[in-house]
Amino acid sequence: MPKIRSILGYMWAGAAVIVVFATFLGSGFFSRTLVAASGVKISPLYTGGEVVRSVDHGSYRALIHRPVFDALIGERKEGFIQVNWEPLAGLPPVIEESIDYTGDGKADFSVRIDTKTGKTMLTHINPQVTSIEESVKLDDGWVVRVQLKKD
Amino acid sequence: MQGFFLGLSNGLMCLAYCTPVLVPFMLGEGRGVAHNFVALMQFLAGRLAGYLAFGFAAWLFNVAVLGRMGPKGLFIGILYVIFSSLMMAYGIFGREMPCAVRSIDRIAGKIRIPLLIPAAAGILSGVAFCPPFLLAMTDAAAGGSLSYSIFFFLMFFAGTSLFFLPMPFVGAFRRLQVLRIIGKMAAGIVGLYYFYAGMIAVIAGIRGA
Amino acid sequence: MKINPPQARQREGMVKTVLLTVVMAVITIIMFSKGKIPQNTKELIALILTILFANTLFFLMVHTGKTDRYRAVYFSTFAVMLIISFISHMFGARGSMSLSEAKVLQCEVPFCHLVIPMTLVPMALTKTIIFPGSLIGGYASIASMFVLWIGATLALGRGFCSWGCFYGGLDDGFSRVLKRPVIKKINPKWIYLPFAVLLFVVLTAAAYLSPTYCTWFCPFKAVTEFEAVTSTKILIQTIIFVSLFIGLVIVLPILTKRRTQCAFLCPFGAMQSLTNKINVFDVRIDKEKCVKCKRCIQVCPTLSMSEESLEDGRARITCMKCGKCIDSCPKGAISYHIKGTDVAGNNNAYRLLFLFAAFLFISIFSAHIIQDGIVRVLKLITTGSMIL
Repeated sequence: MPKIRSILGYMWAGAAVIVVFATFLGSGFFSRTLVAASGVKISPLYTGGEVVRSVDHGSYRALIHRPVFDALIGERKEGFIQVNWEPLAGLPPVIEESIDYTGDGKADFSVRIDTKTGKTMLTHINPQVTSIEESVKLDDGWVVRVQLKKD
Repeated sequence: MQGFFLGLSNGLMCLAYCTPVLVPFMLGEGRGVAHNFVALMQFLAGRLAGYLAFGFAAWLFNVAVLGRMGPKGLFIGILYVIFSSLMMAYGIFGREMPCAVRSIDRIAGKIRIPLLIPAAAGILSGVAFCPPFLLAMTDAAAGGSLSYSIFFFLMFFAGTSLFFLPMPFVGAFRRLQVLRIIGKMAAGIVGLYYFYAGMIAVIAGIRGA
Repeated sequence: MKINPPQARQREGMVKTVLLTVVMAVITIIMFSKGKIPQNTKELIALILTILFANTLFFLMVHTGKTDRYRAVYFSTFAVMLIISFISHMFGARGSMSLSEAKVLQCEVPFCHLVIPMTLVPMALTKTIIFPGSLIGGYASIASMFVLWIGATLALGRGFCSWGCFYGGLDDGFSRVLKRPVIKKINPKWIYLPFAVLLFVVLTAAAYLSPTYCTWFCPFKAVTEFEAVTSTKILIQTIIFVSLFIGLVIVLPILTKRRTQCAFLCPFGAMQSLTNKINVFDVRIDKEKCVKCKRCIQVCPTLSMSEESLEDGRARITCMKCGKCIDSCPKGAISYHIKGTDVAGNNNAYRLLFLFAAFLFISIFSAHIIQDGIVRVLKLITTGSMIL
């Protein structure tokens, strides 16, 4: 029995060396497999959530994401909605957009962004809309996050 | 979730402080895992009863005191700062935490029905005035409604109880002293967090006033 | 009592050493070059230097029987080269070390292994990663770091902290500045603080779905990247991480000759300690040879040796397998060991197997970073700028 345990120990140690090789040689393959098998994504708190609607303005378009209230379990009382405008080259000096995120045909809020200075103004319509969380110029566009609260 | 996480972050300390006293009453040698499990369930039931009573008391405190105040942020912030300082003192500077369950050895002899001893120990552990408990009470009271207070303490109970679940398997206690140290340090760090939150609330309260 | 100077144990003869080094050299040449000879002169020089550096250290490690001395040279070089490479990369890509909101919103933040403990609970419950990084592709992607972590855990357990972590070389290096410690006594209870930090950051990260250790504590932001100070909260965070870096990575390691950041703060290290339970390699003490001189207790960088360890015949769960206690033991009583085998058995074989796994890991993991660092230093010498 001690001899069998010893042999198994050596085999396990040898396997450790093989694991090291496999880790580096198969890094790309294992990474893709891990992501595909687990189905993980980056949290919508960082990505802004899935795009649900696109509004075409000719030289640029607005991408409206879903409202994000994601919590560890269930939903939070406070969240946000993200809107992207792209591409950067096609953006006008001033972006004015009315956003309907509830899908009821009525605007919930509107934003006015001076893309030269970054000054952003929010007009609340829906009482669930609270304030601007972020208004940032990206590498290829502009993004605004507006804070929301649930009733 | 805040109640649950406050419970989880302090549960290790509760386990480490309470179990040296509880183990002789709850877990006799050779009684087996099934008996230990029943004793644990009695203990947790008593603890839950104590916690829910405190949830009710937290709501009463809100109605009687907090609800009559104007902006309560400053008061809550001050309570956070006081209780978190106590927690840091216990966690970082090693002072002993007051825990009512230590009195079980005095009252156990007066309980006629031996089966009720674990439940009594549970109730005592559920009405302790240790700093994490006081912080939980402040959080629960700040919520406002009775349902919030009760639910907050229910989740606090769930968080602390997770650590008690391995109790029937006595082998879990070989490293009790280590768990005690980690629990105290975790309490100190949680204290730091509440100290920061309290200071922010106090500063906001002063600016608003 | 005069302690005899440590004798080199487990050294190999020249023939065996050369053979093993040739094997390592072939592997490292293939892995470092990825099968291509660089056309650029600087890159070619960097490749050759890195290969020579790695294999020279491996040769010395095997032939002299000393592990920690040469491991530390490689480890600290890795850490310094990472800083050179990373910071110049940041300046080249965005013009500063500070992390912009745009990079966060575009999910282009490089991921490092310290975040992993905080991502596990949210990942299990929400199937999302609470980090604004790239899942696959890009600089330091999340999936590649996870694969690396899983491989390191299976092969080395907490040995990753001495043979993989690109930050550990900093406090390891600073801990060797002085010949003798200024602060000699450290309360051993502090080795449990990382576990408390782990519990706290795992819970808060799950509660707030945010990597709280990164945001509030990580001292290594001082040498990689950090948020630009635009609010009081960020100012407080900056003060905290700068203080922790100066205190735990520079000053205390110099004064105590211990790896104080790794031993007393790092929650990733605490998590890796738990993996030591299932790792094949450990550090054992042959109680028949041990004379209880306690030299190992004095030198262990993470206080993983104690009187209790000497009684038990094994290092604590927090052992990082750096080899310092093994090198310092005057009686050769401490050695690397393979679980299931006899403690007093073929220690040389155990050590070689461990060294192969560990050295392969650190050399392959660090190769690209060290080469990139050398290229940037050469560029600095020839053109006055490190930015490629």
